[in-house]
Amino acid sequence: MKPVDWYLALAIILFCIGAYGVLARRNIILVVMSLELMLNAVNIALVAFANFMPTASPRGTYFVLFVITLAAAEVTVGLAIVIANYRNRRSVQTDDYDELKG
Amino acid sequence: MNDTPIKVAVTLIPVLPLLGFLITLLLGKRFFGKRADVVAVVAVTASWVLSMYVFARVFGHLDVLKENRGEALDFNLFTWVTAGTFTVQWGYLVDSLTAVMLLVVGTIGMLVHYYSIGYMKGDGGYYRFFAYLNLFMFAMFVLILANNYLLVFLGWEGVGLCSYLLIAFWFKKKSASQAGKKAFLVNRVGDWGFTLGIFLVFTTFGSLQFADVFAKAGEAGTATVTAICLLLFVGAVGKSAQFPLHVWLPDAMEGPTPVSALIHAATMVNAGVYMVARSYPLFIHSHTAMLVVMIIGTFTAIYAALIALTQTDIKRVIAYSTLSSLGFMFMALGAGAWVAAIFYLLAHGFFKGLLFLDSGSVIHAMSGEQDMRKMGGLRKKLPITFWTMLIGAMAMAGIPLLSGFWAKDEILAVDFVQHYYVVWAVGIITALVTAIYMGRLMFLTFWGESRATEEVKGHIHESPATMTVPLIILAVPAALTGLLTGWPPDEGWIHGFLEPIFYDVESEAFAWAGVGGFLMLVSTVVVMVGVYLAYLMYHKRRELPGRVVTRFPWAYKASLNKFYMDEVYEKVVIRPTIAGAGWLSAVFDVKVIDGAVNGIAKLWGAFGAALRPLQTGRAQNYAAAVFAALVAFVIIARIWGA
Amino acid sequence: MTGGTWYWVLFGLCAAWVIVCGIGVVALRNIVHSAVSMVFCFLGVAFIYVLLNAELLAVIQILIYVGAISVVILFGIMLTEHPRGRLGLFFNRQSIFVLPLVVATMLGFVALAVSAKLPPSGSESHNPALEVLSKALFNEYVYPFELVSVVLLAAMVGAILLARRED
Repeated sequence: MKPVDWYLALAIILFCIGAYGVLARRNIILVVMSLELMLNAVNIALVAFANFMPTASPRGTYFVLFVITLAAAEVTVGLAIVIANYRNRRSVQTDDYDELKG
Repeated sequence: MNDTPIKVAVTLIPVLPLLGFLITLLLGKRFFGKRADVVAVVAVTASWVLSMYVFARVFGHLDVLKENRGEALDFNLFTWVTAGTFTVQWGYLVDSLTAVMLLVVGTIGMLVHYYSIGYMKGDGGYYRFFAYLNLFMFAMFVLILANNYLLVFLGWEGVGLCSYLLIAFWFKKKSASQAGKKAFLVNRVGDWGFTLGIFLVFTTFGSLQFADVFAKAGEAGTATVTAICLLLFVGAVGKSAQFPLHVWLPDAMEGPTPVSALIHAATMVNAGVYMVARSYPLFIHSHTAMLVVMIIGTFTAIYAALIALTQTDIKRVIAYSTLSSLGFMFMALGAGAWVAAIFYLLAHGFFKGLLFLDSGSVIHAMSGEQDMRKMGGLRKKLPITFWTMLIGAMAMAGIPLLSGFWAKDEILAVDFVQHYYVVWAVGIITALVTAIYMGRLMFLTFWGESRATEEVKGHIHESPATMTVPLIILAVPAALTGLLTGWPPDEGWIHGFLEPIFYDVESEAFAWAGVGGFLMLVSTVVVMVGVYLAYLMYHKRRELPGRVVTRFPWAYKASLNKFYMDEVYEKVVIRPTIAGAGWLSAVFDVKVIDGAVNGIAKLWGAFGAALRPLQTGRAQNYAAAVFAALVAFVIIARIWGA
Repeated sequence: MTGGTWYWVLFGLCAAWVIVCGIGVVALRNIVHSAVSMVFCFLGVAFIYVLLNAELLAVIQILIYVGAISVVILFGIMLTEHPRGRLGLFFNRQSIFVLPLVVATMLGFVALAVSAKLPPSGSESHNPALEVLSKALFNEYVYPFELVSVVLLAAMVGAILLARRED
């Protein structure tokens, strides 16, 4: 295993953990948190590539910079939506958000 | 005979009545009013003139035709159908047979038109009548002039259509419209056979043109040719009302009398005979087919004659006599007496047309009464009608020297000579019965005391000139055609005229003394006996028929009810068909078809219902599906990519 | 830093930290516990960045993720009501299906990644130093940089609009 592979393995494991959280947990806020985990995993992978590639390609780092920024924006808006919804529904259980059923 | 004048003449012959039809139908009511007949009559007269011209040309060309059959005029106007390798032309063939048919159709058609001026006067549908008559003439001319089977079929269908339109002319009368339907539907059954025959002709010979088919007629196998001939004959059975497709003809008497005269005596019903005669090169290769034709013709002849004995409607008697005559013609064709058949067709056209028009005159005089039991003693009051009808009846019965005698006799002679003794015997019996019922008709109608009501008696008058003149004109050929064209037997003018058509016919020499003369004597005696019997039963001792009936009630009933053919059809064909249709509409259509259609709709509904649980409305479930799909894609891409 | 045994020991420790905290986020019963676990996870990721010679990113990670995002999430938790969850990994019917899926994915992808043919890594690390990074940010990447600021502005305005009371 090259050095890169270890970091990739870590990234994949973290990604899947986050995926599990997104798909299986009921609490919306927890889903958002798991989403952040997934984003972090991707960031790790990107930086690992940036680090270990033979030719200089710092783009990985720049990319991650923007990802972090946008993740912040996304969380903000996402939580605002959750709050707004919570006002009407009084619940953060995803089961209760099934108006598109059928 | 290939020059322009005759081509123009031939082309115009059907076109003029077609134009007449269009003009009369579209403009007749508004512009012509009571004189709506003018255009139609002019058209058909012009066609007659042209037909005579063509006939004269053919006559003049006869020697060349005898040398080389291919010298007949055969030209195409335009290509009618093209579908891949299948092409059909719209073209005309003019030879001796055509000339004879033109003579019959043209003359009688024209005379009927004139007659109708008087007969249909005052009728609300006056313009319609003449329009349909002209359309009929167009279709009939096309039929006899056609040079290929498909064009014949077009004319065939056309006359069938006109037959329907004209039979059901007084459509407000229920029986008339039903008779029209019956005629058309029964005809359709025949047409089905005809169509199959045409298909078979095409697949066997690759073409529908007469020239092509007849040239190759010998090459096809006997079975194929037999099949073709039988199928074509089915068409003839329908059109010419042979057993068992004869049931429409008596009912067709619901139409106006000129219609009966034109269509059901002189022209349309001859189409079947013409078609078989035209297909001579095919039929001579199939002994079986000719046998079938002969048997059916013979049976129809005697069958119809027996029914005519008891009918009380004057037109019905003549209708059944037409059936009988047509049977004779087919008998002749089947036995190999080709020329005799056409000879009979020619004569029959004249005297049967004459008989119908005469009966129309009688009915007109009797203020619409058609029942012979209510007639009588019209001899003095309707002289012209009487004398012309007498000539016609005598010709029909086969009184010697008149046209019917020569033709009928020749047919019977050929039967005898070809060793078809049974057929000959049946033919003789039929002649006897024919003489009886024709005599009966004449005696009941014209002799004795009048049995009409006082009111009707007061109105009895001879018909106007437009009606009587055609009668007189027709009486001449009705009487003389035999002598002029068929004498001496087998060597008469008509035999020579038709020789180019019916080549190869072995005509046994007609010995005057010996067989030929003997047969003629037998026929004469038979006819005389028949007339005497009629005289006895219907004039001298009127009680005789009643006594015969009480002795043989079943025979009388059978004959009166047309041997129950209509009932048979009702039970065997009509009821099951209606029941079948009922089942189809009530059960099959509702349960199966609707079931299938609704079922498909329900199927989709079921699909939807089955898939609905997938739409939980919860985003996480959808996300899980997306995730799984993504994983799958990655793995597949990786495997393929590797 | 280049590879060396200590390097990999350190890596193993950090990796374990991140994974354990990650599982903590996903598996804990109390949502506040999950949130705290998430914070520690972010911290671990920052260490990973350090190991990867991306010091600036590590700092930014802490600043933004730990400092801002975690706070926002905690605020969200505080403003809403949370029923008590269950402990463990099998929470509900979903997880019966999802857990195997995720585990299988994990194993599969790891296998894929390891077997992929990547160009051999050079000896040097190519993560840019702070100076290079900042220079690039304001030269080649100035456009995305400005756009991101617009996005942030939009996010702020949007969040405010979405979350305010309807009166």
